[in-house]
Amino acid sequence: MSTTATPRVEATHRGLARVWIDFESGLAQVPVIARLQSGRLRLEDYRSLLFNLRQQVVHGGRWISRAASNLDHEELRSLFIRHAAAEHRDYRLLEDNYVAAGGDRAAIRAGVKNIGSEALSAYMYHAASQPNPTGLLGAMFIIEGLGNRLAGPWAQSIASQLGLGADAVSFLSYHGENDADHLAMFDHALELAVIDEASSVSVVRHARVVARLYRLQLEELDNV
Amino acid sequence: MHAYVTASGQFLPGPPIRNDEMADYIGRLSPEADRLGRLTLRKNGIRTRHYAIDRDGTTRWTAARLAAAAIDDVMARAQVDAGQVGFLATATTQNDMLVPGLASAVHAHSGLGPIEIASLQSVCAGSMMAFKLAALQVAAGEHRAALTVGAEFSSRYFRPGHYRGTASLPADGVLAADAEFLRWTLSDGAAAILIEDRPAARGLSLRIDWISLRSFADRFAPCMTGGAVRDDVGGLVPWSHFPTIGDAAQAGAFQLRQDIDALHRMLPVWLGELMRLVDEGRVDPMQVDHFLCHFSARSLRDEMVRLATRAGCMIPEERWFTNLYTKGNVGAASLFLLLDDLLRSGSLRVGQRVLCAVPESGQCVMSFAALTVVEGRA
Repeated sequence: MSTTATPRVEATHRGLARVWIDFESGLAQVPVIARLQSGRLRLEDYRSLLFNLRQQVVHGGRWISRAASNLDHEELRSLFIRHAAAEHRDYRLLEDNYVAAGGDRAAIRAGVKNIGSEALSAYMYHAASQPNPTGLLGAMFIIEGLGNRLAGPWAQSIASQLGLGADAVSFLSYHGENDADHLAMFDHALELAVIDEASSVSVVRHARVVARLYRLQLEELDNV
Repeated sequence: MHAYVTASGQFLPGPPIRNDEMADYIGRLSPEADRLGRLTLRKNGIRTRHYAIDRDGTTRWTAARLAAAAIDDVMARAQVDAGQVGFLATATTQNDMLVPGLASAVHAHSGLGPIEIASLQSVCAGSMMAFKLAALQVAAGEHRAALTVGAEFSSRYFRPGHYRGTASLPADGVLAADAEFLRWTLSDGAAAILIEDRPAARGLSLRIDWISLRSFADRFAPCMTGGAVRDDVGGLVPWSHFPTIGDAAQAGAFQLRQDIDALHRMLPVWLGELMRLVDEGRVDPMQVDHFLCHFSARSLRDEMVRLATRAGCMIPEERWFTNLYTKGNVGAASLFLLLDDLLRSGSLRVGQRVLCAVPESGQCVMSFAALTVVEGRA
């Protein structure tokens, strides 16, 4: 991979890595994440996290599909379609986890997005509606990064803090386990998408916006 | 910045100790512990190191005396008189005593007259904190010349007597992996550099272009710790919060521990700092002639190479300079040990650029120093 990457793709990797560092730093300041990371999470925190995430995750497959429909590049379109297919039922795991953690299935299904999720979701659909929305790879980098880098340790920590079984944390642990494949696919997509400075800047900019809006979603838990 | 590394020195106690001799010095806890030791050694790639303890665990050294011996080595090759040194900064992970700071004891053993001192206590990056402080002191005109020394004496904590009777070492003799790992990783020694406001009159000096250090404790919990015990909700209880000193010792508060998984989570953040410096134009990977990277294990180095290559900030591997495999991981002394060996290697040429990198796992610090080889005019 490295032998074919252009300096522009490498610069994009650097930009994304730096956005990630700021994102991770900011997350530690969000109350629910601070409690999670310091071993003070409450069961209602976890249920609230699942409830709120579900309302946005349920749209994941949809905005990726919309983005795919606007891509001219056939191989990129194919990668987006596969990604959408892989993600679009993930919210069911969230619902199962919510029930296993003592929540009510009908309630989570009837929930609405918090105001942060509204902003995040609106931005995703807006970006996906543009012609050739390759910048969305930056958005995927943030969301996939959460899965690859944080979801696994969070799942373990939540299970041990709250005494929950694997059936209550499978959404997080599943995303923590599938990192290698996803990363390789992401690297490939980035090499196809980053063809000039504008496309590189766009990917990093989308990552910055999504990182901030994702944090907003976590800051606004239950604020509907 | 008008500050130059004009001389360097080191002191490594005793002969080089091979892997199969280590247990003669740090002792044997159990066959399982020895097995984990061999595994750790395969990962870190270290073949020899030095210990300031004898086979029976006794010693005539302290961290302060090791540091003073390294300073003797520098001053034997310095082109200034000891009287011109106005500042001494020390770095160590665990001082000989809790109070006062190491710099006082090193000063006492150094033979220097009244000087300004600073004791920096962190883990590996303590060396860079001391380096930056001394460089700024000289550049600011506070002192004509300054000494910076890093010293470690870890082996004394690794003897079986420091574990027996504590919760860290259950009856089966299998030490917790986070404590065992460090027994096979860290060793002893000291190294020092002299910083002046002008290049040495003869021979090569290193101009200090900039030093960058950042802490990421905002997002990482403590990863390498000593002096505390983890409570059941993931917090750390300092030894001093136990009702008695005996209780603290029994709970295992005095063992050094390393969360090995957290180490791998820190890597991208450490690399992110290099990426920032590349994006800011302060580092051009292809223009670095000698890359002195302190890394604690070959396995971490391999992972670093992979991430750096992907992001276009890989410094070609033939320009990496290391002495880890023969001199061991000497924590806060490692940076100066690398610089001393580089300066003595005969491979430096005027105009070459040197980049030093020192990550610290303690609670995640990353630091870099950029130096340029210059020649003095006698």
